[in-house]
Amino acid sequence: MNRHSLLCAWIVALVACGAAASCRPSIALGDPLPAASPGDTHTASEADLEAQLEAARKQLEAAAHQVAELTAQLSRPVIEKFMALGDDPDRAIIGVQLDPAGDPQGARVREVSPGGPAAEAGIRAGDVIVAVNDTAVKGDDAARQVVDLMRNVKPDSKVRVRVLRDGKPRDFTVVARAGLGYLLADGPITMPGPELLPHVRAPLMLRGPLTDLELVTLSPQLGRYFGSDSGVLVVHAPGDGALKLEDGDVILAIDGRRPTSGSHATRILASYQPGEKLTLHIVRLHKTLDVEATVPERPHHRGVMLRGHRAASV
Amino acid sequence: MHTELEQGERLAALLRSLPEQTLGPYDWSEFRRRAHERAALGQRIGEGRRVAAVVVIAVAVCAGAIRWVESGPRPAAPPAAAPRVDEASAERYLASLPHEPAVVRVGTRAAVATLEDHIALVDDLLSAERVERAPPARLLALQHERSELISSLVQVRYAEALADESR
Repeated sequence: MNRHSLLCAWIVALVACGAAASCRPSIALGDPLPAASPGDTHTASEADLEAQLEAARKQLEAAAHQVAELTAQLSRPVIEKFMALGDDPDRAIIGVQLDPAGDPQGARVREVSPGGPAAEAGIRAGDVIVAVNDTAVKGDDAARQVVDLMRNVKPDSKVRVRVLRDGKPRDFTVVARAGLGYLLADGPITMPGPELLPHVRAPLMLRGPLTDLELVTLSPQLGRYFGSDSGVLVVHAPGDGALKLEDGDVILAIDGRRPTSGSHATRILASYQPGEKLTLHIVRLHKTLDVEATVPERPHHRGVMLRGHRAASV
Repeated sequence: MHTELEQGERLAALLRSLPEQTLGPYDWSEFRRRAHERAALGQRIGEGRRVAAVVVIAVAVCAGAIRWVESGPRPAAPPAAAPRVDEASAERYLASLPHEPAVVRVGTRAAVATLEDHIALVDDLLSAERVERAPPARLLALQHERSELISSLVQVRYAEALADESR
């Protein structure tokens, strides 16, 4: 072996050792050339990592689910106490805390619920509500006036709210969501695992193949490509052929309700009970069609009965 | 000098005459190609490991939170002050997040929606209780509940954002 070859071999051996020291499979001296078996090592290690990552994602999602579910369960007794004292279970919510101290101009918003209807509409803490559905509110009991007006609002209805922000009037449309009756709906469901936590109510929680569904809110550019100017794009259809959706479908409506975002579509889908039938109005390969589907069963869970109307927040 | 020069030439001639088999396993260009390949693989693996590590840490945090919720005794009367999380910073964090991730995974989003709706309900109840001049203990109970819900929402949204980033 000449010096040049020896030097090359030695350097390659060093590099190979370095790679091996990082506990990763690598191409070592004497390995078959990639041309003979292209990308085998890559494929194996990347596939393994991808499997691990997918498993970690599933764990993360399961943990997030449990955190939400247990928190909702723990908050229930407190909320029920307020129900027992005469709150209308079917009242709608908009998600604002009002300052009870009178403001000559209206009701000052102390807090806005993150992700709540008011926040989604664009209302902020510090805004002063001066009218609800064209009824002016002002004076020392402006906050009470807003609360009273909200008692007449039904879930899913649009509420016109006029506020003063930095002294200038601004109008917002808030879509009210269902409140107590929905969130504290009757019907026990079981938790996964050996324990049976009684009377967990979490009507928005989804289980089974629907949880894998991935959606993207359609932008105008995406819309042009997929042949629709509205709706949500299915980037990953649920497993087991649930809802008969396919990757690349655009959901235009679910039983007539038009989702405006991925979150909105989630709320609509979560309002169905396992076994319920629904009609999806979709665009598939630039053609519009209706798909009849059944909401899949939730593994380990029995259905949650909704009180009164289909809830919500949709 | 002359002898050394001749010896060098002879040695070079001998080396040149060696059979092909004694050459190195591959030439410099092949070595560089393999080295580049190893570097690229190492980088991809390194990124993957970092993402996996972050995801595993987040799972551990969430699992710890669940255990805390399941095992921790809940006070009969909630403390008047100092909620478990700094609610203001938690809300700032929530406000800093986009309304929804670029790709909405329906399972996680449903968990987020559950918490958001509970918080909205508690906020509306707080408004109603305040205008009715409810006793402070009732308001505190609701405030405490709100803090718990916000804390959980932060965790769930963090998990959602993390999963979205690792895609």
